[in-house]
Amino acid sequence: MTYVIDVPQVFDERSFDQFAAGFAGAEADARVLVDAHATEWASPAGLIGLLCAGQALLARAGVKPLLTVPAEREVAHYWARAGFFAHAADLFEIHGSVPRVKPNPERNVLLEVTPVTGADDVHAVVGKIQERAAAILTSELGLDPKATMGFGMALSEACQNIVEHAGTGGWVAVQTYSWRALGRRVVVIAVADAGVGFRHTLEATQGKRFGDRWGDATALEAALIQGVSRFRDPGRGQGLAGIRRYLDRWHGKISIRSGTARIALVPAWERDEPLRDGLPPFPGAQVQLVVPAVEREAQ
Amino acid sequence: MITEIDLREVLSRSVGAPLSDLVTRSTGAKVRSSIEAQLSERPAGAAVVLDFSSVRVLDCSCADEVVAKLVLGRGVAPGAGQWFVIRGLGEGHAEEIDHVLRRRRLALVAEERDGRSRLLGEVEPAAAAAWRVVVDLGNAGAEEVATTLRLAPAEARQALQAAVAAGVVRQADDRYVPLTAA
Repeated sequence: MTYVIDVPQVFDERSFDQFAAGFAGAEADARVLVDAHATEWASPAGLIGLLCAGQALLARAGVKPLLTVPAEREVAHYWARAGFFAHAADLFEIHGSVPRVKPNPERNVLLEVTPVTGADDVHAVVGKIQERAAAILTSELGLDPKATMGFGMALSEACQNIVEHAGTGGWVAVQTYSWRALGRRVVVIAVADAGVGFRHTLEATQGKRFGDRWGDATALEAALIQGVSRFRDPGRGQGLAGIRRYLDRWHGKISIRSGTARIALVPAWERDEPLRDGLPPFPGAQVQLVVPAVEREAQ
Repeated sequence: MITEIDLREVLSRSVGAPLSDLVTRSTGAKVRSSIEAQLSERPAGAAVVLDFSSVRVLDCSCADEVVAKLVLGRGVAPGAGQWFVIRGLGEGHAEEIDHVLRRRRLALVAEERDGRSRLLGEVEPAAAAAWRVVVDLGNAGAEEVATTLRLAPAEARQALQAAVAAGVVRQADDRYVPLTAA
């Protein structure tokens, strides 16, 4: 019997837990269908979250899960232009018509869904963003040119999180779109993997310190708020701190979901919970950075 | 003697590709090893200028691996006994380097594109003030620093020795000089 995981109609960070609950309900040896036929929109975090699910399901069962393509032609085309299907084909048995698209990307897709497994990939991703995105970030989002270099730094550090800690490959995608609650455009970096997650990564060096409180939520707090690392070298653990400094300066937001918890540093323009625990379990870590356009763009 | 090192050139040589973004810890380790190998052939006590003019993106991990660890190892690593100065930093570069140095309680001198110098990282306030006097005067003795900063001579000497220990000033007999002074 096939177990169905429904992909939410609007699949983004907010609806991710709904998807994770479906994922968590699948038995280890079940034939799984990831059903996206009714999905009307997916954020970069949603798209690479799907790939993480596919990677984890394939690793667990040894057979590709099924994936249905969104029924809406425009949605499927958008996913194709965002580079999703190119990687999904390695992880899923795809059902439905996958659009063939020209390589020329959408203007709002600053970086197509891109695999990250090593330092070379991080160099390639940063290089591509600096060449393609600098003008868009400055002219369309009104970001200070100084913010562009910091953007590359934040992107690099987020991707290195996969290389250094995940124990497996992951994906990154960067897009700009309108953020409804803000009423302005934003640029979104989504980075995710289906690896071991923050709790496992930090457990050997931090678990004892937290005692009974140790878990996914405390691991996320330790990493993002306290800047701890699994290494005893005081120079380590600076990546997330650097990302925080960058986002503070440009009024951005970071959220990280790992295991059963999610942490967010929430700027004044956004409503979100700083820390949630007891969420449906999902493998690895999902990181999202959001940098808003300057206010004058909305005027 | 001053050794100038173009970070972009070292980066490209280290990774075997013409890159200009100093990112990732593993890349930083390769770049640092390459610099240390180059410096091992140089005499101790020389000033080394790390030129970032052609570097585009610098991330925290790479800044720590290249800059902070070079400064940290100046007493023990290959090429030990070198004095490091940084040149050609963009504002974003300076911020990253400042943070990674502070995390390890280190400091170094950055030469701005307009020729002025500033300190990055963590230096005791008295040592930073003494460094400024030395830079402004071109060189200085403890008495001049004491007079300028209105310190007791012993306090001025202590501040200058702290600046030497932090690696931001050189001592030449009883005078103190900026790192890149001839």
